[in-house]
Formats: sequence, C-alpha cells, structure tokens
Amino acid sequence: MDILSQLPQQLINGLTLGGVYALIAIGYTMVYGILFMLNFAHGEIYMIGGFAGWWVLHLLSSGNRLVMHAALVIALMIVGAMAVSGLVGVLSERFAYRPLRQAPRMNALLSALGVSIFLQNLVLNFQGAKPRFFHVSALIPEGLRVIEVGGVVFSFMRGLVISVSFLFMGVLTYVVKKTKMGKAMRATAQDIEAANFMGIDTDRIIVMVFLIGSALGGAAGTLVGMLFTQVDYYVGFQAGIKGFTAAVLGGIGNIFGAMLGGIILGLLEALATSLFPSAYKDVVAFAVLIVVLIFKPSGLLGEPMREKV
Amino acid sequence: MANVFLEWGTRRSHRVTFYAAAVGLLIALPHVMPDNYWLRIYSMTGVYVMLALGLNVVAGFTGLLDLSYVAFFGIGAYTFALVSSAQFDVHLPFLIALPAAAFITMGFGLALGSTSIRLSGDYLAIVTLAFAQIFKLLLLNLDQPVNITGGVNGIFGFDPIVILGWRLMSPVAYSYLIWGAALLAIVASWRLKKSRFGRGWEAIREDELAAEALGVSTTWMKLKAFAGGAFVAGATGAIFASFQDSVFPNNFDFPQLVIVYCMVILGGLGNIPGVILGAVLLTVLPEFLREYGAYRMMSYGLILVVLMAIRPQGLLGSVRFLVKGQRRPDKDETGVLRASTDLYYGEERKEDETSPLHSAGHRVVLELERVTMAFGGLTAVQDLDLRLREREILSVIGPNGAGKSTVFNMISGIYPPTEGAIRYEGRGINGLKPHQVARAGIARTFQNLRLFTKMTVLDNAKVGQFCRTRAGVLSILFHLPRFKREEAETEERVREILALFGARLTGYRFDQEAQFLSYANRRRLEIARALATDAKVLMLDEPSAGMNPQETLEITGFIKELRDVHGYTILLIEHKLNLVKTISDRVIALDYGRKIAEGTYDEVAGDERVIEAYLGRKKTQTEEPEQA
Repeated sequence: MDILSQLPQQLINGLTLGGVYALIAIGYTMVYGILFMLNFAHGEIYMIGGFAGWWVLHLLSSGNRLVMHAALVIALMIVGAMAVSGLVGVLSERFAYRPLRQAPRMNALLSALGVSIFLQNLVLNFQGAKPRFFHVSALIPEGLRVIEVGGVVFSFMRGLVISVSFLFMGVLTYVVKKTKMGKAMRATAQDIEAANFMGIDTDRIIVMVFLIGSALGGAAGTLVGMLFTQVDYYVGFQAGIKGFTAAVLGGIGNIFGAMLGGIILGLLEALATSLFPSAYKDVVAFAVLIVVLIFKPSGLLGEPMREKV
Repeated sequence: MANVFLEWGTRRSHRVTFYAAAVGLLIALPHVMPDNYWLRIYSMTGVYVMLALGLNVVAGFTGLLDLSYVAFFGIGAYTFALVSSAQFDVHLPFLIALPAAAFITMGFGLALGSTSIRLSGDYLAIVTLAFAQIFKLLLLNLDQPVNITGGVNGIFGFDPIVILGWRLMSPVAYSYLIWGAALLAIVASWRLKKSRFGRGWEAIREDELAAEALGVSTTWMKLKAFAGGAFVAGATGAIFASFQDSVFPNNFDFPQLVIVYCMVILGGLGNIPGVILGAVLLTVLPEFLREYGAYRMMSYGLILVVLMAIRPQGLLGSVRFLVKGQRRPDKDETGVLRASTDLYYGEERKEDETSPLHSAGHRVVLELERVTMAFGGLTAVQDLDLRLREREILSVIGPNGAGKSTVFNMISGIYPPTEGAIRYEGRGINGLKPHQVARAGIARTFQNLRLFTKMTVLDNAKVGQFCRTRAGVLSILFHLPRFKREEAETEERVREILALFGARLTGYRFDQEAQFLSYANRRRLEIARALATDAKVLMLDEPSAGMNPQETLEITGFIKELRDVHGYTILLIEHKLNLVKTISDRVIALDYGRKIAEGTYDEVAGDERVIEAYLGRKKTQTEEPEQA
C-alpha cells in the first residue's frame, strides 16, 4: 500500500486520537502545573469515565433501542462520565493527595500509584475482567454511518470525537484565559503561596483543577468507548501513559502545550501504524516520551525549570 | 536515628551470635514447614526478600522511583531461561548461568540508567515505566519471526541445578539455596548502608544538590544504585526461574512491581529489617487471606495510600524500641536538671585578646576573571573580577538580588558561567561539576540551609568525607582493610571537626537527626559538613542568618578562628555588616551584578556608590549603612 495515498485517512485517525490524548493530557498538566505532582491515577479516571458512559448508555436503552433521542443519549453519556470521573478525581485529591501537600514528592507519587491500583482493581472487582461493549449502532444517525470523501473514510464517531474534544479545548481555553476563575488558576500555578496571600482560596482552586481535569479525562474515556465500542478495567494504563506523554511533549504544566502535544502524538501514532506491525504501535508513544524527556524535558511550549539554589 | 540492631551488629561477639542464629534458623525452618505447599511459600518469601532488598537500594536508600525494577527481574529470569534450556539448546552450568544473568541484567541497568538517571523524580518514574512496558511488549511478541521469548507461553523446562556435582532437586534444597542467597543479600545491604556508599545514597535522597556540592558524585552514585538494584533483581530472577522451572511474561508485569514496592514501603524505605518484614508479611499474609484473594491488589493500593498519609516511614521506621535511648540534653551525668541557658551560654569561650594576629598570604588561591552569568535576558553577574588570597576573609556584600549567591553558585559549579574564567590554584575550574569543585578543595554552605535532615549529625558530616575516601563495592562488601581503615579515619576526622563546635554538635547530638537541631545549630552543622570535605577554601553563604545577637557574636569568633587557627581561606556572603566589619580582611560590594567597590571594610563602607546602593541617592555620608 502506498503510504502517501493513506495520508488523509491517517490524518483523520490521528486527529481523533490526538483530540482524545489532548483531553487526557490536560488533566495531567493542570495538576502538575500547580502541585508538581504526577497524578498516576489519571488513567484510571479516564477508564472510569468509560464505564460511566457505558452505564448511561446501558440504562437508557432497552434492547437495541434507545429510550430517548440519540443526541440526548450521547450528551448524557458524556455528562455522566464527566460527573463520575470528576467526583472520583475530587475524592482522590481530598483523601489521597491533600494530606501529602507538604510531604516529599515521592510520597505523593507513591500515593497516586496506590490510588491508581486501588481504582483499577475496584473496577475489576465490581465490573469484572471482561470488556463491556457499547452498542452504539442506535446512537448513529441513519445515513451518517460512514461518510466517504475522495477515498477518505470519515465515520460519524470519529467526527463526534474530534468535534467534542476540540469543543472542550475551546471552552477550557476560554475559561483559563478570560474568566476570573481562570485568572485565579493561572496565579495559583505560578505561585501557590503568593496566590493564597492575595486572597485566592487555593484549596478550592486545586479542587477545581482536579474536577476539570478529571471531567475531561472522563469525557475522553466515554468518547473512546463509543469509538472503539468497548471498555475494560485495564484501558486506563495505556491511556494514562499516552496522555502523560502528550503532556510532556507539549511541556508539562502548560495547558496549550498539552493540547498541542496530544494532537502531535495522535498524528505520530497514526502514521506509525502504517509503518510498523501493530503489536508495536504503543512503542511509538514510549519512544516519544523517552526521547523528549531525555533531550528536551521542558517540552515544546514549557519553560525550562531551574532549581532555586 | 540510630537503630539498635545496626548498632548491635557492629560488635564482634554479637555479630557472630547473629550470624549463628540466622544460619541455624535457616537450616531448621524448612523442616518445620507442615507440607510442600508451605515449603514453597517459604522459598518464595526468600525470593521476595531478595527482590525487596534490591529495590530498597534503588528506591529506599537512593530515593529513585525505578518502575522498571521488575523488568530487570524478568531480564535475569529470561537470560537464565535462554542459557539453560532447550530453547536454543544452550546448557550453561548453574554456577555460570547465575552470574551471567546477574551481570547481563546489570548491563541493562547501566544502559537504561545512563540514559535516564539525570531525570528527576516523576520523570524518572515515568521513563522507567515506559521501559518496563516496552520490555513486556517484547516478551509477548518476540516469538516471531524467530522464537526467542516464547511469547505468552513463556519458556519452561530448565536444566537442573548442579553445584559441584551435587544435584539440587528437592524443595528443601531449593529453600536452602534461596534463603542462603537472601542472607547474602541482607548482609550486603547492611554493609552498603553502613558505608560511604550508603551515606552518599542517603544524601542524594535527602538533597541531591547539596550532596553534589559536598563532593558526592551524584550521577555516578545513582547509576551505581541503579546497577546494583538490577544486579540483585537479575540474580533473583535467575534463581526464581529455576525454582519455578518456567518463565512467563505475567511473572514480570505491573502488579508484581506493585507488590514489591508495597513490601519496601510497608517496611519503611531504606529500613533493612523493615523491608524484610514487609516482604515476609506480604508473602505470608495473603496465604491466610486467600478467600479474599480478589481484593488483594485493591488492598495493596489502599496500603500505599494509607501508609503515605499516616506512616510514610513504614512499619519499623522510628519505632520506639528500635531507637537508641537518648540522654536528655538538659540533664547532667547524675540526672540533675540544668538550666538550658547554662548549657548554651555557660561554656562561653574566653575572648583571647592576645591571639596572634594572622597575616593573610599574598598568594592568590581563587581567581575570577571577567565572569558573567546571564539567565536568558537577565544578567545576574557581569564582568566580575575577584581575587581571593591565602588565609584571607573576603566578604561579598550588596543588596538583595545583587548577584552574591550567583557568584557562589558559579564557583561551586552549579551554574556554569556564561563568560569568563574561574581559576583555583592556577587551574581552570569552570566546567567542573560541583562534586569535582568540592574535591578540588572548595566547599560551601547554603543560604537556605540544605542539610540532610533525616540523617544524624555524625552522618551529615561524614558525607563531607565522601570525596576523600575511595573504598569501592568490593572493599565494602567484604570489609577489606581499606574500607576499615577509611571508616576509622572518617569517624575520627568527623568527630574532630564536630568537636570544634563544642557541646552543640557533640555527645548525644552525634546521633540526633539534623531536623531536630535548632536553627543556629543547623547553620553550624552546615559549616561542619563543609569542613569535613577537607576543603582549603570555604564559601559561607550568610552563616549568621537567623541567629540572635549572642549567637552571631559567637559565629563571628568561630569564623575568625577558622582562619587564624586552622588556616582556612574564606569567602563570605553576609548581610550583618557588624560581622563583616569585625572579621573581613577585604570587602567587595556588588550591585546589580557589578562590582561597585572593593577594599577594606572602611573603604567600602565609605564608598558613595555603596551607600547609594544600600540607602538610595540621598546623601548620608556620615552614617554607616546599617544591617540590610
């Protein structure tokens, strides 16, 4: 097969993946920007979002038919996933990370690792090891199942994933840049103590950051669930690494870097799948991660970090 | 915090008893196991003890979050599998296959470490995690096009172990082999911990930059920890493979990593008895809780979260009965309470009026020539010339942000200057790493105290001697004469230095953790630590910051003594101008990164530009600038 002729197709696939990675990466980068903590459990929050979306779909359909309009179901799936994931994120902050605010960073990281293992096995115990399948056919409007433009296959679901993820990125950009809360977030990320002295309730900001980041992660989980029509307890692990890679690639701590990093990683991965055997497709993300961390740990948009002596 | 067991283990008679008891126990235990199933659990416990101890070197001693640790375990196991099975029809004898597995794994550890070791904390964790995932992908997929790893099915059916013609087959024999190796790992851990390596690693864990500035070659030491951990994991992997008589990718997966981490953390990172206890508990307990097996991993996650929140030091960290009783400082030998003021101000040193006037030498020891340091657009220091002469106290003063600390950071190699030359004893030292600068003979303290807070006073100072000692792994593991000689010398030297500070850093304080010292004593310990590097040039960054007037007077006298009596050459940053006035031979004033005045204190203090820098443009020539 000619790689060039596949390019437009891979571009679409890459953008789809990229949008998802960007949504996940935002959660990592927002938390890191403020707490300098790698939230290891973020992948599981994504996975839980997938399960939440599955449950909404499951509860809103009887047999293969939906009890309400498909668009409404899709919206409810995304909102439900965001709510559940957001809640889990906030709870984990409250119980696992907040007590460690002053502790050495390694402790917080280990605690996050603990949360990750706990959540993953919690889902394993209560949802089982078998994947849950999304019966999405009823969600897709008739006639829009597959759109083909000049040999490029553009499925409805890909369109949905791309538009929803880019919509969320736009909203987040607005919130961070234009609202009062966004200003408080940026201040907290620059200097948490100073922000505190200026009357910003930084605890509340941190909760908000976990809420937003986790909600976006949850939305990504559900979108991917719809796209690949399944979710299982183990998907968070890979997604977590991909999201983190995207965050690092863009420059960790930088929200726009996370978006950019996600999209680039998605495109790279889509290209790689046409070059390498599929068993090794995940190696691309790992390789990108390792290369970036070793040669340019500040990423594309991040500022170099220097320890104050 | 001194540990009774460790303390206890250092006395010869006790040590012999300890080894005898341990060997006796290991011989007896396999025979009291109720059945083969429990014998197997017993052997697996030994495997986990080894694994946990290896991880303890990396994550516990050194504080490196190495998430590829279990991959090393796997590399050892698969190496063994490939060289003693029908897979490639290679059949090396066990006594060659085992070290081969260990050394090959160590090679992987070195290779991986050298690419990622300079990444800090979370970055290292995530990169090693990525390596581990690649390893797992390879294990699963390298069954095609050539079958190397056997894919999901793994490799099984290994040659039986033959040691000196004796075939090792029975479960009891395996338990002897495994626990014998575990005992070696325990002794090796112990010896490493109580050596310059152990102290260097701990210093890195506590404060990497301070360790580097004190002469610990941090990159190399971290690499050694990484390689050491890989070596133990590799050897354990080989033994495990032989014991299980098969290897599967699943044996080396993420959950396995979590289990080993939980063992190390449960016992207490760096705490050897604790880690052993953790390994035993987490291998044996699940056997009793088998009906709740489904919740095993879930509870491991909870264990991690809860431990980090309420007991990050682990089960055995700072347990009362393991910690040596400390005498209260405010009681004398008879137990009578003394007033604390007695203790601190009672033994005031007599002002020696007739102390011989020192004479600063003329030889230039340290020279900065047109040195510039720019951070992006900000030039912190510009075209600075500075000459430090032998046995001189040269003070650097200037308002906040004048670039004083940057000067120190450039000399000590933390920031490489953008332009200019730094020479020490005629030799160019720019471009040297901080630990090389320290070894060359320039030691420093930090303005914002960077002690190794969880290490004892004695160990803090001993870290300073790291760069003066040479003992390597073999010396340490086998307690060769060189190691013993160096340890004795280090101990003596460090006690000598701490004695300079009188009761403040000696006696019961030797075994006190630095975090429990008063602020002034921490400053003193920073100086002691710098002295312990056997430096000739001392750079003291605000040694009197945070001290009350009484303590300031005392430290002033002490710094003077360092020069007059002990012949140190001293570069000093200080804001308290009374102190500067009392002891400086010369003073340099910086403002906005440029030298604005140089000369005796009076010359500099009278300089208009200096007055302007401190007090602003208004003319106040008659006033002396007050403490900034």
